[in-house]
Amino acid sequence: MTRATNAGIGVTRYLQVYTVLSQALAEGDIAAGEALPSEPSLVRQYGVSRTTVRRALARLAEERCIVRRRGSGTFARDKIARTANARQNAAIIDDPRTVATNTTVRLLEFKRTPAPDFLHREWPEIGANVLTIRRVRSIEREPVALVTSYIPEEIGQQLTARRLGSDTVLAALDKLGFHATTTEQESSACAADPLTARHLDVGVGSPILNLKCLARDAQGRIVRYSNHLYRPDRYEIHTVVERERSLRARQAMRL
Amino acid sequence: MPSRTAQRTNKSKPARGNGFKAQRNGRGVARYYLLYEHLSGALNDGTIPAGGALPSEPELVTRYKLSRTTVRRALARLEEEGRIIRRRGSGTFARQNRKPQRLHLNLHDFFDDVSQLASQSTIAILRFEMGAVPTSLRELQPQLGTQALVIQRLHRSHGAPYGLTTAYVPERFGRKIRKSALNNASLVAVLDQLGPRATRTEYTTSAVAADAVAAKRLDVSLGAPLLRTRAVLTGGNKELYAVVESLCRPDRFDVRAAFERNSNRNSGSRWHLKRSGG
Repeated sequence: MTRATNAGIGVTRYLQVYTVLSQALAEGDIAAGEALPSEPSLVRQYGVSRTTVRRALARLAEERCIVRRRGSGTFARDKIARTANARQNAAIIDDPRTVATNTTVRLLEFKRTPAPDFLHREWPEIGANVLTIRRVRSIEREPVALVTSYIPEEIGQQLTARRLGSDTVLAALDKLGFHATTTEQESSACAADPLTARHLDVGVGSPILNLKCLARDAQGRIVRYSNHLYRPDRYEIHTVVERERSLRARQAMRL
Repeated sequence: MPSRTAQRTNKSKPARGNGFKAQRNGRGVARYYLLYEHLSGALNDGTIPAGGALPSEPELVTRYKLSRTTVRRALARLEEEGRIIRRRGSGTFARQNRKPQRLHLNLHDFFDDVSQLASQSTIAILRFEMGAVPTSLRELQPQLGTQALVIQRLHRSHGAPYGLTTAYVPERFGRKIRKSALNNASLVAVLDQLGPRATRTEYTTSAVAADAVAAKRLDVSLGAPLLRTRAVLTGGNKELYAVVESLCRPDRFDVRAAFERNSNRNSGSRWHLKRSGG
């Protein structure tokens, strides 16, 4: 759904190591009480720096997945209810290669509706009617995101719930030949309303990470507008900014 | 039989419905405030457009399983703030909103934007001292060490607080920073002046319920949703220059980003932040 957030920028190496180890621990590949490979062997195994390995281990220790005993090594902790991890989930959701396969979606709504007022006011070019798709995306049966997408009628016409499957909306549109090339995003926080609370299994009023995203194709045509509501304990937005890439001229952004 | 007691309990606490009961992260938050926040959000984002009608009191009571008194308190606060108007006999309506100026940080323009923001803000330094780095942060960023310069600042725009930031600067750089330099400049700009020119930031955005300190500083209620960000600033060779954690009011500040990917119709093509020069 939100792979645009940091897809392409890539997951940091530390996160990759962390994800791999975390998974190994979760799936019992490294059993409770069992020793993890030593730092030097992890360095060799993953071809990363010692610092990177240490960061991954620090994160796992922080999450109580492992325990580090000075002098004797690092060990998987006794099985405890593993709490979902925001970074790890983000890595799965933001990666086009894993989002469809490692997550599940529940379709709440898939129908042609008049464009909501706020959308029509802000971007009248979206047209009078839109295809509205609302889905909950979960990882290991734990809901992570409630995403509502609005697709202009003429683009949405060829999309069916079946075709969409567990793909992200943008991936599904790609397959239909509607290729988004730019997105403008705005992230904010809001309190969970009753609908959000129910679908994300949190209390009403709990803080929710809110991302709004407008995607356009190469001709500047709106392909999709989406509103993503994330559980902040299960997802976070991760972006890497290189200074060289920073825009000199400010670009007018509408979102 | 317990039935009578149960009935009485139910009757005496009509407000304890399911609506706002499952509150997890906002312990101790008044129920009326949650409804106020919710309606406030709907008014802000245009879910209830200017001139549009709000649900009636009985509707709100039923939908959120709140008492009439609670609903009235929430509406009274919105009315006090001039956001809604209540017309006897016909209902409650959203007023034309005087759009408050919201500040933005554009991530694709991060290094220029943070300085721009600082120049538009009034900054109060709440803390400036060598202090212990919280364990959790130290484990994430071992380069920080155990002691770092801790800079806590409150950022205001037109008198209204919008962000509370806590920066940790490794000792060797921290020692060179003068407090006065931070009154009206971004940390990035201050570091630039000193030499360690940050060339990269890992920026994380999340949401959190306001704790007591943040609530007081940012003038929101305990448990109000805040945008939480962390910027890890590094230079060449990934040397760590600073970690800046911020708590921001979502009604006064948001984070934006523009991404692009090449236009060949390959769904595997990658997204990246918009490049300079477009």
